[in-house]
Amino acid sequence: MVLEATMICVDNSEWMRNGDYSPSRFQVQADAVSLVCGAKTQSNPENTVGILTMAGKGVRVLATPTSDLGKILSCMHGLEMGGEMNLAAGILIAQLALKHRQNKNQQQRIIVFAGSPIKHEKKALEIIGKKLKKNSVALDIVDFGEEEDGKPEKLEALLASVNNNDASHIVHVPPSQNALSDVLISTPVFTGDGEGGSGFAATTAAAAAGGVSDFDFGVDPNIDPELALALRVSMEEERARQEAAAKKAAEEASSQEKGEDAQPQSDSQNATSTATEKVSDPMDEDDLLKEALALSMNIPGSDSSAGDAQMSEASNDDQELALALQMSMQDGSKESSAPSDVSKVLGDQSFMSSIISSLPGVDPNDPNVKNLLASLPGQSESQQKKDEDEKPKDEK
Amino acid sequence: MSAAESATSIQKNQVDLLDFIDWSGLECLNQSSSHSLSNALKQGYREDEGLNLESDADEQLLIYIPFTQVIKLHSIVVTGSEEEGPKTVKLFANREHMGFSNVSDFPPSDTAVLSPDNLKGKPVVLKYVKFQNVRSLTIFIEDNQSSSEITKVQKIALYGSTVETTDMKGLKKIEDH
Repeated sequence: MVLEATMICVDNSEWMRNGDYSPSRFQVQADAVSLVCGAKTQSNPENTVGILTMAGKGVRVLATPTSDLGKILSCMHGLEMGGEMNLAAGILIAQLALKHRQNKNQQQRIIVFAGSPIKHEKKALEIIGKKLKKNSVALDIVDFGEEEDGKPEKLEALLASVNNNDASHIVHVPPSQNALSDVLISTPVFTGDGEGGSGFAATTAAAAAGGVSDFDFGVDPNIDPELALALRVSMEEERARQEAAAKKAAEEASSQEKGEDAQPQSDSQNATSTATEKVSDPMDEDDLLKEALALSMNIPGSDSSAGDAQMSEASNDDQELALALQMSMQDGSKESSAPSDVSKVLGDQSFMSSIISSLPGVDPNDPNVKNLLASLPGQSESQQKKDEDEKPKDEK
Repeated sequence: MSAAESATSIQKNQVDLLDFIDWSGLECLNQSSSHSLSNALKQGYREDEGLNLESDADEQLLIYIPFTQVIKLHSIVVTGSEEEGPKTVKLFANREHMGFSNVSDFPPSDTAVLSPDNLKGKPVVLKYVKFQNVRSLTIFIEDNQSSSEITKVQKIALYGSTVETTDMKGLKKIEDH
Protein backbone atom coordinates (compact mmCIF):
# COMPACT_ATOMS: atom_id res chain seq x y z
CA MET A 1 0.00 0.00 0.00
CA VAL A 2 2.76 2.40 -0.91
CA LEU A 3 1.69 5.95 -1.53
CA GLU A 4 2.76 6.52 -5.09
CA ALA A 5 2.46 8.90 -8.00
CA THR A 6 2.84 7.09 -11.31
CA MET A 7 3.37 8.37 -14.82
CA ILE A 8 2.59 5.93 -17.62
CA CYS A 9 4.47 6.43 -20.88
CA VAL A 10 2.41 5.05 -23.74
CA ASP A 11 3.91 4.11 -27.09
CA ASN A 12 1.59 5.27 -29.87
CA SER A 13 4.02 4.96 -32.74
CA GLU A 14 3.35 3.38 -36.15
CA TRP A 15 4.70 0.08 -34.87
CA MET A 16 1.63 -0.27 -32.70
CA ARG A 17 -0.59 -1.06 -35.67
CA ASN A 18 0.88 -4.54 -35.88
CA GLY A 19 -1.42 -7.44 -35.09
CA ASP A 20 1.02 -9.92 -33.62
CA TYR A 21 -0.67 -9.34 -30.28
CA SER A 22 -4.38 -9.75 -30.84
CA PRO A 23 -6.27 -7.61 -31.70
CA SER A 24 -3.43 -5.13 -32.16
CA ARG A 25 -0.42 -4.02 -30.18
CA PHE A 26 -2.09 -0.76 -29.37
CA GLN A 27 -5.21 -2.45 -28.04
CA VAL A 28 -3.34 -4.76 -25.72
CA GLN A 29 -1.31 -1.81 -24.53
CA ALA A 30 -4.48 0.12 -23.78
CA ASP A 31 -5.88 -2.83 -21.83
CA ALA A 32 -2.69 -3.12 -19.86
CA VAL A 33 -2.72 0.60 -19.12
CA SER A 34 -6.24 0.48 -17.74
CA LEU A 35 -5.34 -2.55 -15.66
CA VAL A 36 -2.33 -0.80 -14.19
CA CYS A 37 -4.35 2.31 -13.40
CA GLY A 38 -6.96 0.23 -11.64
CA ALA A 39 -4.37 -1.66 -9.64
CA LYS A 40 -2.59 1.49 -8.52
CA THR A 41 -5.70 3.36 -7.45
CA GLN A 42 -7.08 0.31 -5.72
CA SER A 43 -3.99 -0.46 -3.71
CA ASN A 44 -4.05 3.00 -2.17
CA PRO A 45 -6.86 5.50 -2.72
CA GLU A 46 -4.46 8.41 -2.52
CA ASN A 47 -2.33 7.11 -5.38
CA THR A 48 -2.28 9.22 -8.50
CA VAL A 49 -1.66 8.19 -12.08
CA GLY A 50 -0.86 10.27 -15.13
CA ILE A 51 -0.40 9.44 -18.81
CA LEU A 52 1.73 10.77 -21.60
CA THR A 53 2.33 9.63 -25.16
CA MET A 54 5.84 9.31 -26.50
CA ALA A 55 5.26 9.25 -30.28
CA GLY A 56 3.14 11.31 -32.59
CA LYS A 57 4.28 14.86 -33.15
CA GLY A 58 6.17 14.86 -29.88
CA VAL A 59 5.85 13.87 -26.28
CA ARG A 60 2.47 14.99 -25.04
CA VAL A 61 1.15 14.77 -21.49
CA LEU A 62 -2.45 13.62 -21.67
CA ALA A 63 -3.13 13.68 -17.94
CA THR A 64 -1.06 14.89 -15.02
CA PRO A 65 -1.05 12.61 -11.98
CA THR A 66 -4.62 12.37 -10.74
CA SER A 67 -6.61 9.87 -8.75
CA ASP A 68 -9.59 10.20 -11.08
CA LEU A 69 -9.65 6.87 -12.90
CA GLY A 70 -12.32 7.96 -15.37
CA LYS A 71 -10.25 10.84 -16.60
CA ILE A 72 -7.25 8.60 -17.18
CA LEU A 73 -9.22 5.96 -19.05
CA SER A 74 -10.91 8.52 -21.24
CA CYS A 75 -7.50 9.81 -22.28
CA MET A 76 -6.64 6.42 -23.73
CA HIS A 77 -9.74 6.52 -25.83
CA GLY A 78 -9.32 7.97 -29.31
CA LEU A 79 -5.55 8.04 -29.37
CA GLU A 80 -3.97 8.24 -32.80
CA MET A 81 -1.00 6.17 -33.84
CA GLY A 82 1.88 7.59 -35.76
CA GLY A 83 5.44 8.75 -35.71
CA GLU A 84 8.31 7.34 -33.76
CA MET A 85 8.70 6.81 -30.06
CA ASN A 86 11.08 9.13 -28.24
CA LEU A 87 11.96 7.18 -25.12
CA ALA A 88 14.45 9.59 -23.57
CA ALA A 89 12.22 12.63 -23.90
CA GLY A 90 9.25 10.63 -22.66
CA ILE A 91 11.01 9.56 -19.51
CA LEU A 92 12.42 13.00 -18.79
CA ILE A 93 9.07 14.69 -19.22
CA ALA A 94 7.45 12.03 -17.06
CA GLN A 95 10.01 12.85 -14.38
CA LEU A 96 9.17 16.52 -14.68
CA ALA A 97 5.47 15.81 -14.37
CA LEU A 98 6.15 13.79 -11.22
CA LYS A 99 8.26 16.56 -9.76
CA HIS A 100 5.22 18.82 -9.84
CA ARG A 101 2.89 16.38 -8.16
CA GLN A 102 0.48 17.77 -5.63
CA ASN A 103 1.37 15.49 -2.77
CA LYS A 104 5.10 15.55 -2.21
CA ASN A 105 4.90 12.55 0.10
CA GLN A 106 4.15 10.22 -2.79
CA GLN A 107 6.87 8.00 -4.12
CA GLN A 108 7.66 8.61 -7.77
CA ARG A 109 7.30 5.89 -10.38
CA ILE A 110 7.38 5.79 -14.17
CA ILE A 111 5.96 2.90 -16.19
CA VAL A 112 7.19 2.71 -19.79
CA PHE A 113 5.61 0.61 -22.51
CA ALA A 114 8.40 0.13 -25.03
CA GLY A 115 6.86 -1.41 -28.13
CA SER A 116 8.97 -0.01 -30.92
CA PRO A 117 12.71 0.08 -31.65
CA ILE A 118 14.80 2.34 -29.48
CA LYS A 119 16.92 4.82 -31.36
CA HIS A 120 18.91 5.99 -28.35
CA GLU A 121 22.30 4.67 -27.41
CA LYS A 122 22.83 2.58 -24.32
CA LYS A 123 25.04 5.29 -22.81
CA ALA A 124 22.35 7.91 -23.13
CA LEU A 125 19.84 5.62 -21.49
CA GLU A 126 22.20 4.92 -18.63
CA ILE A 127 22.65 8.62 -17.98
CA ILE A 128 18.90 9.02 -17.85
CA GLY A 129 18.66 6.08 -15.49
CA LYS A 130 21.20 7.60 -13.15
CA LYS A 131 19.29 10.85 -13.11
CA LEU A 132 16.14 9.00 -12.16
CA LYS A 133 17.94 7.13 -9.40
CA LYS A 134 19.41 10.32 -8.05
CA ASN A 135 15.95 11.79 -7.73
CA SER A 136 14.62 8.54 -6.29
CA VAL A 137 12.25 7.77 -9.15
CA ALA A 138 11.47 4.11 -9.74
CA LEU A 139 11.04 2.78 -13.27
CA ASP A 140 9.04 -0.16 -14.62
CA ILE A 141 9.68 -1.19 -18.21
CA VAL A 142 7.34 -3.33 -20.31
CA ASP A 143 9.30 -4.63 -23.28
CA PHE A 144 6.85 -5.87 -25.90
CA GLY A 145 6.03 -5.42 -29.56
CA GLU A 146 8.84 -4.94 -32.02
CA GLU A 147 11.84 -7.11 -31.34
CA GLU A 148 15.05 -5.49 -32.36
CA ASP A 149 18.66 -6.49 -31.86
CA GLY A 150 19.96 -4.93 -28.74
CA LYS A 151 16.62 -3.67 -27.50
CA PRO A 152 16.46 -5.99 -24.49
CA GLU A 153 20.06 -5.18 -23.64
CA LYS A 154 19.45 -1.45 -23.82
CA LEU A 155 16.42 -1.75 -21.61
CA GLU A 156 18.23 -3.96 -19.12
CA ALA A 157 21.04 -1.43 -18.96
CA LEU A 158 18.52 1.32 -18.32
CA LEU A 159 16.95 -0.73 -15.58
CA ALA A 160 20.29 -1.47 -13.96
CA SER A 161 21.18 2.20 -13.80
CA VAL A 162 17.83 3.14 -12.26
CA ASN A 163 17.34 0.24 -9.95
CA ASN A 164 17.58 1.05 -6.30
CA ASN A 165 16.79 -1.81 -3.92
CA ASP A 166 14.68 -3.67 -6.48
CA ALA A 167 12.14 -0.88 -6.73
CA SER A 168 12.32 -1.01 -10.52
CA HIS A 169 11.36 -3.91 -12.74
CA ILE A 170 11.43 -4.99 -16.36
CA VAL A 171 9.09 -7.42 -18.09
CA HIS A 172 9.78 -8.88 -21.53
CA VAL A 173 6.56 -9.99 -23.22
CA PRO A 174 6.94 -11.92 -26.48
CA PRO A 175 3.96 -12.22 -28.84
CA SER A 176 1.70 -15.05 -27.74
CA GLN A 177 -1.88 -16.12 -27.26
CA ASN A 178 -2.05 -14.61 -23.80
CA ALA A 179 -3.01 -11.00 -23.59
CA LEU A 180 -0.44 -8.53 -22.37
CA SER A 181 -2.56 -7.76 -19.33
CA ASP A 182 -2.67 -11.38 -18.25
CA VAL A 183 1.09 -11.65 -18.39
CA LEU A 184 1.52 -8.42 -16.50
CA ILE A 185 -0.81 -9.41 -13.71
CA SER A 186 1.62 -11.90 -12.29
CA THR A 187 4.59 -9.60 -12.51
CA PRO A 188 5.86 -7.17 -9.89
CA VAL A 189 4.54 -4.35 -12.09
CA PHE A 190 1.18 -5.10 -10.63
CA THR A 191 2.02 -6.78 -7.38
CA GLY A 192 3.97 -3.76 -6.29
CA ASP A 193 6.87 -5.68 -4.79
CA GLY A 194 4.60 -8.28 -3.34
CA GLU A 195 2.46 -6.26 -1.01
CA GLY A 196 -0.90 -4.54 -1.28
CA GLY A 197 -1.52 -4.93 -4.95
CA SER A 198 -1.40 -8.67 -4.74
CA GLY A 199 -4.96 -8.75 -3.43
CA PHE A 200 -6.11 -7.03 -6.57
CA ALA A 201 -3.85 -9.22 -8.62
CA ALA A 202 -5.21 -12.38 -7.07
CA THR A 203 -8.81 -11.48 -7.78
CA THR A 204 -8.17 -10.43 -11.35
CA ALA A 205 -6.04 -13.49 -11.95
CA ALA A 206 -8.80 -15.70 -10.65
CA ALA A 207 -11.29 -14.00 -12.90
CA ALA A 208 -9.14 -13.89 -16.02
CA ALA A 209 -6.83 -16.84 -16.03
CA GLY A 210 -8.85 -19.28 -13.99
CA GLY A 211 -7.28 -18.84 -10.60
CA VAL A 212 -3.67 -18.98 -9.60
CA SER A 213 -4.04 -18.69 -5.88
CA ASP A 214 -2.72 -21.45 -3.70
CA PHE A 215 -4.95 -20.65 -0.78
CA ASP A 216 -8.18 -22.27 0.23
CA PHE A 217 -10.64 -19.66 -0.85
CA GLY A 218 -8.59 -17.57 -3.25
CA VAL A 219 -7.80 -15.11 -0.49
CA ASP A 220 -4.43 -14.93 1.14
CA PRO A 221 -4.89 -15.23 4.89
CA ASN A 222 -1.78 -13.14 5.33
CA ILE A 223 -3.13 -10.26 3.37
CA ASP A 224 -6.74 -10.39 4.47
CA PRO A 225 -7.14 -12.62 7.50
CA GLU A 226 -10.61 -11.38 8.29
CA LEU A 227 -11.93 -12.15 4.84
CA ALA A 228 -10.31 -15.58 4.85
CA LEU A 229 -11.80 -16.31 8.27
CA ALA A 230 -15.24 -15.10 7.20
CA LEU A 231 -15.11 -17.31 4.14
CA ARG A 232 -14.09 -20.32 6.19
CA VAL A 233 -16.84 -19.72 8.76
CA SER A 234 -19.48 -19.36 6.08
CA MET A 235 -18.24 -22.58 4.50
CA GLU A 236 -18.70 -24.33 7.84
CA GLU A 237 -22.14 -22.86 8.26
CA GLU A 238 -23.11 -23.96 4.78
CA ARG A 239 -21.92 -27.45 5.49
CA ALA A 240 -23.82 -27.48 8.77
CA ARG A 241 -26.92 -26.26 6.98
CA GLN A 242 -26.56 -28.98 4.41
CA GLU A 243 -26.15 -31.56 7.13
CA ALA A 244 -29.31 -30.30 8.79
CA ALA A 245 -31.10 -30.41 5.47
CA ALA A 246 -29.81 -33.88 4.88
CA LYS A 247 -31.03 -34.89 8.29
CA LYS A 248 -34.47 -33.50 7.58
CA ALA A 249 -34.54 -35.16 4.21
CA ALA A 250 -33.53 -38.41 5.77
CA GLU A 251 -36.41 -38.20 8.23
CA GLU A 252 -38.91 -37.91 5.46
CA ALA A 253 -37.09 -40.28 3.15
CA SER A 254 -39.38 -43.01 1.92
CA SER A 255 -36.85 -45.66 1.13
CA GLN A 256 -34.43 -45.22 4.00
CA GLU A 257 -34.29 -47.81 6.73
CA LYS A 258 -31.65 -45.90 8.51
CA GLY A 259 -33.63 -42.68 8.59
CA GLU A 260 -33.77 -42.32 12.34
CA ASP A 261 -30.10 -43.06 12.61
CA ALA A 262 -29.32 -40.16 10.38
CA GLN A 263 -30.41 -37.73 13.08
CA PRO A 264 -27.86 -38.36 15.80
CA GLN A 265 -25.19 -38.87 13.26
CA SER A 266 -25.75 -35.69 11.33
CA ASP A 267 -25.75 -33.83 14.62
CA SER A 268 -22.55 -35.43 15.69
CA GLN A 269 -21.09 -34.76 12.31
CA ASN A 270 -22.16 -31.14 12.68
CA ALA A 271 -20.46 -30.98 16.02
CA THR A 272 -17.40 -32.61 14.59
CA SER A 273 -17.16 -30.27 11.65
CA THR A 274 -17.77 -27.11 13.63
CA ALA A 275 -15.56 -28.15 16.49
CA THR A 276 -12.59 -29.08 14.40
CA GLU A 277 -13.08 -26.51 11.62
CA LYS A 278 -11.49 -28.71 9.06
CA VAL A 279 -11.36 -27.81 5.40
CA SER A 280 -13.76 -29.81 3.26
CA ASP A 281 -11.12 -32.10 1.80
CA PRO A 282 -10.54 -34.38 4.82
CA MET A 283 -14.31 -34.65 5.30
CA ASP A 284 -14.78 -35.81 1.74
CA GLU A 285 -12.21 -38.50 2.18
CA ASP A 286 -13.97 -39.74 5.30
CA ASP A 287 -17.26 -39.78 3.47
CA LEU A 288 -15.81 -41.67 0.57
CA LEU A 289 -14.24 -44.17 2.93
CA LYS A 290 -17.51 -44.71 4.71
CA GLU A 291 -19.31 -45.08 1.44
CA ALA A 292 -16.88 -47.77 0.40
CA LEU A 293 -17.31 -49.55 3.72
CA ALA A 294 -21.07 -49.33 3.42
CA LEU A 295 -21.08 -50.76 -0.06
CA SER A 296 -18.79 -53.56 0.96
CA MET A 297 -21.03 -54.39 3.91
CA ASN A 298 -23.91 -54.71 1.49
CA ILE A 299 -26.44 -52.79 3.46
CA PRO A 300 -29.82 -52.96 1.67
CA GLY A 301 -31.73 -49.90 0.52
CA SER A 302 -28.62 -47.96 -0.13
CA ASP A 303 -29.86 -46.15 -3.24
CA SER A 304 -32.27 -43.30 -3.09
CA SER A 305 -34.84 -43.05 -5.80
CA ALA A 306 -34.84 -39.25 -5.73
CA GLY A 307 -32.76 -37.33 -8.21
CA ASP A 308 -32.47 -34.35 -5.95
CA ALA A 309 -28.87 -33.67 -5.02
CA GLN A 310 -29.68 -33.23 -1.37
CA MET A 311 -31.57 -36.45 -1.26
CA SER A 312 -28.83 -38.45 -2.92
CA GLU A 313 -26.32 -36.87 -0.63
CA ALA A 314 -28.52 -37.83 2.27
CA SER A 315 -28.79 -41.39 1.03
CA ASN A 316 -25.03 -41.71 0.74
CA ASP A 317 -24.65 -40.12 4.09
CA ASP A 318 -27.03 -42.57 5.69
CA GLN A 319 -24.87 -45.58 5.00
CA GLU A 320 -21.85 -43.82 6.32
CA LEU A 321 -23.85 -42.37 9.14
CA ALA A 322 -25.07 -45.77 10.17
CA LEU A 323 -21.57 -47.15 10.23
CA ALA A 324 -20.28 -44.09 11.97
CA LEU A 325 -23.03 -44.41 14.52
CA GLN A 326 -21.96 -47.92 15.26
CA MET A 327 -18.37 -46.88 15.51
CA SER A 328 -19.15 -43.93 17.68
CA MET A 329 -21.34 -45.92 19.96
CA GLN A 330 -18.44 -48.20 20.59
CA ASP A 331 -15.72 -45.70 21.31
CA GLY A 332 -17.92 -42.74 22.18
CA SER A 333 -15.32 -40.28 20.93
CA LYS A 334 -17.46 -38.37 18.51
CA GLU A 335 -20.39 -37.72 20.75
CA SER A 336 -21.22 -34.20 21.85
CA SER A 337 -24.17 -32.71 23.64
CA ALA A 338 -26.41 -32.64 20.59
CA PRO A 339 -26.93 -36.38 20.19
CA SER A 340 -28.02 -36.73 23.81
CA ASP A 341 -31.10 -34.71 22.98
CA VAL A 342 -31.66 -36.79 19.92
CA SER A 343 -31.30 -40.02 21.83
CA LYS A 344 -34.16 -38.82 23.98
CA VAL A 345 -36.13 -38.46 20.82
CA LEU A 346 -35.06 -41.91 19.86
CA GLY A 347 -36.25 -43.12 23.22
CA ASP A 348 -39.69 -41.95 22.33
CA GLN A 349 -41.11 -45.20 21.13
CA SER A 350 -44.13 -43.82 19.39
CA PHE A 351 -41.95 -41.51 17.37
CA MET A 352 -39.67 -44.38 16.46
CA SER A 353 -42.50 -46.60 15.45
CA SER A 354 -44.08 -43.88 13.35
CA ILE A 355 -40.79 -43.38 11.61
CA ILE A 356 -40.36 -47.01 10.90
CA SER A 357 -43.89 -47.46 9.70
CA SER A 358 -43.52 -44.53 7.35
CA LEU A 359 -40.64 -46.23 5.59
CA PRO A 360 -42.23 -48.48 3.00
CA GLY A 361 -39.09 -50.36 2.10
CA VAL A 362 -38.16 -51.15 5.67
CA ASP A 363 -38.71 -54.53 7.04
CA PRO A 364 -38.51 -54.12 10.77
CA ASN A 365 -37.91 -57.76 11.15
CA ASP A 366 -34.81 -57.46 9.07
CA PRO A 367 -31.87 -58.54 11.24
CA ASN A 368 -29.83 -55.46 10.33
CA VAL A 369 -32.55 -53.12 11.53
CA LYS A 370 -32.88 -55.07 14.70
CA ASN A 371 -29.16 -54.98 15.33
CA LEU A 372 -28.97 -51.26 14.84
CA LEU A 373 -31.93 -50.57 17.01
CA ALA A 374 -30.47 -52.79 19.67
CA SER A 375 -27.23 -50.84 19.63
CA LEU A 376 -28.96 -47.55 20.38
CA PRO A 377 -28.79 -46.62 24.08
CA GLY A 378 -31.81 -47.63 26.06
CA GLN A 379 -33.54 -48.99 23.07
CA SER A 380 -34.07 -52.61 23.98
CA GLU A 381 -37.47 -52.11 25.53
CA SER A 382 -38.69 -49.85 22.79
CA GLN A 383 -37.46 -52.33 20.22
CA GLN A 384 -39.57 -55.03 21.69
CA LYS A 385 -42.56 -52.76 21.77
CA LYS A 386 -41.87 -51.73 18.22
CA ASP A 387 -41.84 -55.31 17.13
CA GLU A 388 -45.17 -55.76 18.74
CA ASP A 389 -46.46 -52.63 17.03
CA GLU A 390 -45.08 -53.59 13.71
CA LYS A 391 -46.54 -57.00 13.61
CA PRO A 392 -50.12 -55.87 13.46
CA LYS A 393 -49.10 -53.16 10.94
CA ASP A 394 -47.42 -55.71 8.78
CA GLU A 395 -50.60 -57.51 8.49
CA LYS A 396 -52.24 -54.54 6.81
CA MET B 1 31.37 35.82 18.61
CA SER B 2 35.07 36.10 19.38
CA ALA B 3 37.66 34.19 17.49
CA ALA B 4 38.58 32.33 20.64
CA GLU B 5 35.07 31.10 21.14
CA SER B 6 34.70 29.89 17.61
CA ALA B 7 38.01 28.14 17.87
CA THR B 8 36.86 26.08 20.83
CA SER B 9 34.50 23.24 20.11
CA ILE B 10 31.14 24.47 21.20
CA GLN B 11 29.90 27.73 22.61
CA LYS B 12 28.54 27.40 26.13
CA ASN B 13 24.83 27.70 25.56
CA GLN B 14 24.77 25.70 22.34
CA VAL B 15 23.55 22.15 22.55
CA ASP B 16 23.71 19.26 20.21
CA LEU B 17 20.44 19.39 18.35
CA LEU B 18 20.29 15.62 17.97
CA ASP B 19 17.36 15.42 20.36
CA PHE B 20 15.27 17.79 18.33
CA ILE B 21 15.52 16.02 15.02
CA ASP B 22 12.22 14.62 13.75
CA TRP B 23 13.48 11.20 12.72
CA SER B 24 10.32 10.22 10.88
CA GLY B 25 10.68 13.05 8.39
CA LEU B 26 14.32 12.57 7.47
CA GLU B 27 15.02 12.34 3.79
CA CYS B 28 18.17 11.97 1.78
CA LEU B 29 18.36 11.98 -1.99
CA ASN B 30 21.07 10.03 -3.81
CA GLN B 31 22.21 8.09 -0.80
CA SER B 32 23.49 4.59 -1.21
CA SER B 33 21.07 2.12 0.32
CA SER B 34 23.72 0.35 2.34
CA HIS B 35 25.27 3.57 3.61
CA SER B 36 22.39 5.71 4.66
CA LEU B 37 21.82 8.98 6.45
CA SER B 38 21.46 7.42 9.87
CA ASN B 39 25.09 6.38 9.73
CA ALA B 40 26.02 10.04 9.81
CA LEU B 41 23.41 11.38 12.17
CA LYS B 42 22.58 8.84 14.81
CA GLN B 43 24.24 8.73 18.14
CA GLY B 44 26.85 6.00 18.12
CA TYR B 45 26.70 5.44 14.38
CA ARG B 46 28.20 8.78 13.66
CA GLU B 47 31.15 8.14 15.96
CA ASP B 48 31.91 4.90 14.19
CA GLU B 49 34.48 5.52 11.54
CA GLY B 50 33.48 2.50 9.56
CA LEU B 51 29.91 3.69 9.11
CA ASN B 52 29.53 6.46 6.56
CA LEU B 53 26.85 8.13 4.56
CA GLU B 54 27.73 7.53 0.92
CA SER B 55 26.35 8.95 -2.26
CA ASP B 56 25.08 6.72 -5.00
CA ALA B 57 24.69 7.78 -8.61
CA ASP B 58 27.03 10.76 -8.39
CA GLU B 59 28.84 12.78 -5.78
CA GLN B 60 26.01 15.09 -4.72
CA LEU B 61 23.80 14.57 -1.72
CA LEU B 62 20.65 16.32 -0.64
CA ILE B 63 19.71 15.88 3.01
CA TYR B 64 16.47 17.11 4.52
CA ILE B 65 16.25 17.32 8.33
CA PRO B 66 13.02 18.47 9.96
CA PHE B 67 12.98 19.38 13.64
CA THR B 68 10.40 18.73 16.29
CA GLN B 69 10.49 22.32 17.36
CA VAL B 70 11.87 25.62 16.22
CA ILE B 71 15.59 25.99 16.76
CA LYS B 72 18.36 28.41 16.18
CA LEU B 73 21.32 26.93 14.39
CA HIS B 74 24.74 28.11 15.44
CA SER B 75 27.28 25.78 13.91
CA ILE B 76 27.66 22.43 12.26
CA VAL B 77 30.32 19.75 12.29
CA VAL B 78 30.82 17.65 9.17
CA THR B 79 33.53 15.04 9.26
CA GLY B 80 34.74 12.72 6.56
CA SER B 81 37.84 11.37 4.91
CA GLU B 82 40.36 13.72 3.35
CA GLU B 83 39.67 12.74 -0.22
CA GLU B 84 36.09 11.72 -0.31
CA GLY B 85 34.74 14.02 2.34
CA PRO B 86 32.44 16.82 1.28
CA LYS B 87 33.78 20.17 0.13
CA THR B 88 31.06 22.62 -0.75
CA VAL B 89 28.09 22.46 1.54
CA LYS B 90 25.05 24.67 1.07
CA LEU B 91 22.44 25.06 3.76
CA PHE B 92 18.82 26.01 3.23
CA ALA B 93 16.58 26.83 6.15
CA ASN B 94 12.87 26.07 6.06
CA ARG B 95 12.71 24.81 2.48
CA GLU B 96 10.72 21.63 2.12
CA HIS B 97 10.91 18.95 -0.57
CA MET B 98 13.84 20.32 -2.46
CA GLY B 99 15.23 18.42 -5.39
CA PHE B 100 18.54 18.55 -7.17
CA SER B 101 16.89 20.56 -9.92
CA ASN B 102 15.87 23.47 -7.73
CA VAL B 103 18.95 23.84 -5.53
CA SER B 104 20.04 26.66 -7.75
CA ASP B 105 16.64 28.32 -7.83
CA PHE B 106 17.18 30.32 -4.69
CA PRO B 107 20.24 31.33 -2.74
CA PRO B 108 21.26 29.19 0.23
CA SER B 109 21.01 30.55 3.74
CA ASP B 110 24.69 29.83 4.08
CA THR B 111 27.49 28.15 2.20
CA ALA B 112 30.47 26.42 3.76
CA VAL B 113 33.58 25.21 2.03
CA LEU B 114 35.09 22.56 4.24
CA SER B 115 38.77 22.49 4.93
CA PRO B 116 40.65 19.40 6.08
CA ASP B 117 40.43 20.80 9.63
CA ASN B 118 36.68 20.86 9.39
CA LEU B 119 36.73 17.31 8.16
CA LYS B 120 38.54 16.34 11.31
CA GLY B 121 35.86 17.82 13.51
CA LYS B 122 36.31 21.54 13.68
CA PRO B 123 32.87 23.12 13.67
CA VAL B 124 31.83 25.52 10.98
CA VAL B 125 30.22 28.58 12.47
CA LEU B 126 27.28 29.74 10.44
CA LYS B 127 25.62 33.06 9.86
CA TYR B 128 23.59 32.89 13.02
CA VAL B 129 21.21 35.63 11.94
CA LYS B 130 20.02 33.55 9.02
CA PHE B 131 19.15 30.59 11.21
CA GLN B 132 17.05 32.16 13.93
CA ASN B 133 13.83 30.40 13.24
CA VAL B 134 14.57 27.04 11.75
CA ARG B 135 11.89 24.36 11.42
CA SER B 136 13.77 22.27 8.88
CA LEU B 137 17.22 22.25 7.39
CA THR B 138 18.27 21.12 3.93
CA ILE B 139 21.93 20.31 3.44
CA PHE B 140 23.14 20.18 -0.15
CA ILE B 141 26.58 18.61 -0.57
CA GLU B 142 27.68 19.79 -3.94
CA ASP B 143 31.04 18.14 -4.38
CA ASN B 144 33.81 16.45 -2.48
CA GLN B 145 37.45 17.12 -1.78
CA SER B 146 38.94 15.11 -4.59
CA SER B 147 36.04 15.28 -7.05
CA SER B 148 35.65 11.55 -6.92
CA GLU B 149 32.53 9.67 -7.89
CA ILE B 150 31.36 9.04 -4.38
CA THR B 151 31.14 11.39 -1.44
CA LYS B 152 31.53 9.87 2.00
CA VAL B 153 30.37 11.64 5.13
CA GLN B 154 31.21 10.17 8.46
CA LYS B 155 29.38 12.51 10.81
CA ILE B 156 27.00 15.43 10.71
CA ALA B 157 26.36 17.21 14.00
CA LEU B 158 24.27 20.32 14.49
CA TYR B 159 24.74 22.75 17.32
CA GLY B 160 22.38 25.46 18.37
CA SER B 161 19.70 26.33 20.83
CA THR B 162 15.99 26.11 21.05
CA VAL B 163 13.51 28.91 20.85
CA GLU B 164 11.23 28.95 23.85
CA THR B 165 8.35 27.03 22.36
CA THR B 166 5.86 24.83 24.15
CA ASP B 167 6.90 21.24 24.36
CA MET B 168 3.66 19.51 23.47
CA LYS B 169 4.79 16.24 24.96
CA GLY B 170 5.28 17.94 28.30
CA LEU B 171 1.69 19.13 28.40
CA LYS B 172 -0.19 16.89 30.76
CA LYS B 173 -3.84 16.90 31.54
CA ILE B 174 -4.55 18.27 35.01
CA GLU B 175 -6.46 15.71 37.02
CA ASP B 176 -9.81 16.88 38.33
CA HIS B 177 -9.90 16.61 42.10
